[in-house]
Amino acid sequence: MLYDLRRSDVRVRWLVTLLLATLGTSYLFGAWMVGLYAGYSPRKVAETYGPAGETPMTMQMPPETTMVTERPISMAEMGEEQHHVDRDLLVQDTHVHMPMYAVIAACLSVIALGLAIPRWAGLSIIALLFAAPWLDFAGMWLTKLVSPGFAIVALAGGWAMALGYLIVAVLATYQMWWRKT
Amino acid sequence: MKLLLLVALLHITPTVVLMKREDAVTKLLPGADQFVSRELHLSSADSKRIHDAVGWEPADGVVTFYLGKKHDQVTGVLVFMRVDCQHGPIELAIGYDPRGTIRAVEVTKATVEMKPWIVEALRAGLTNEYRGLAVAEPPSGAEKVKPHVGAMPGYMAELIDKGVMHADAAYRLFYR
Repeated sequence: MLYDLRRSDVRVRWLVTLLLATLGTSYLFGAWMVGLYAGYSPRKVAETYGPAGETPMTMQMPPETTMVTERPISMAEMGEEQHHVDRDLLVQDTHVHMPMYAVIAACLSVIALGLAIPRWAGLSIIALLFAAPWLDFAGMWLTKLVSPGFAIVALAGGWAMALGYLIVAVLATYQMWWRKT
Repeated sequence: MKLLLLVALLHITPTVVLMKREDAVTKLLPGADQFVSRELHLSSADSKRIHDAVGWEPADGVVTFYLGKKHDQVTGVLVFMRVDCQHGPIELAIGYDPRGTIRAVEVTKATVEMKPWIVEALRAGLTNEYRGLAVAEPPSGAEKVKPHVGAMPGYMAELIDKGVMHADAAYRLFYR
């Protein structure tokens, strides 16, 4: 253990507590946002990140000749917009989010370094914290470029992020404020 | 999964609706009581054609025209077009009359950051410049409003010009 959160100055514990509370709140809103724009089922995630408007296997390559489909729609349908992340938007999302995910994983890892846990557990938590964003974005890109079946990888990444945060938050809070020995 | 103040500094700001899509449809396809979606999945050759024409092609290879009809007669065509920049996406609705000239252009979505810039450009009369424009004519709204607005609203006007140009190219090449 590089430092011991249990015996750290109350100011350090207060900082860590507020950091965890802020991260937790933003995760809750993140979960809400995912529900609004992408969904929690592999099908919904594949619709959001996969190739738009085509059945999964035929959308991978452009057709030999331009295909035209016409159908009557209602005014309400014209107003509805399926949130879809195309390649350009995913490039932008990856560019913006990946550095921040790294900073967040680093913050949580620094907290994990102060936990009274075995070395292997610390290594595993740090690996989980950094693997989660990689899985998240790898899943999005694979869904777009390879197969909608990879939506499950993006979902796994999201849940891994939540799991990593929960493990660190629960252990840190318990060790900082309850278990002092 | 969007975190902390630091994130806010780097983050594309949230999307705001400047005009509901339904309102844009009512305004740009007036009188229509039936609507048809015409979706084109572009071939590589057609993607190249539009790219050669305006330096842009739809990222997913799909162009959608919304046709407004009354008594089975087409009264107008509408295209929603997205333009991306480093501040986030802008969504435009471009309406065409049956003769194929621009009936009007509306900005339906932007981001919180871009909204005041776009509003300033619109107040300077940007979208008036597109009315009646033939699809072969290059849009030059930015050129007209730039002397009357700040740098960022001028930049937004350039982006909106670009979106109109992309929609015009799609209409010219694939609708008719």
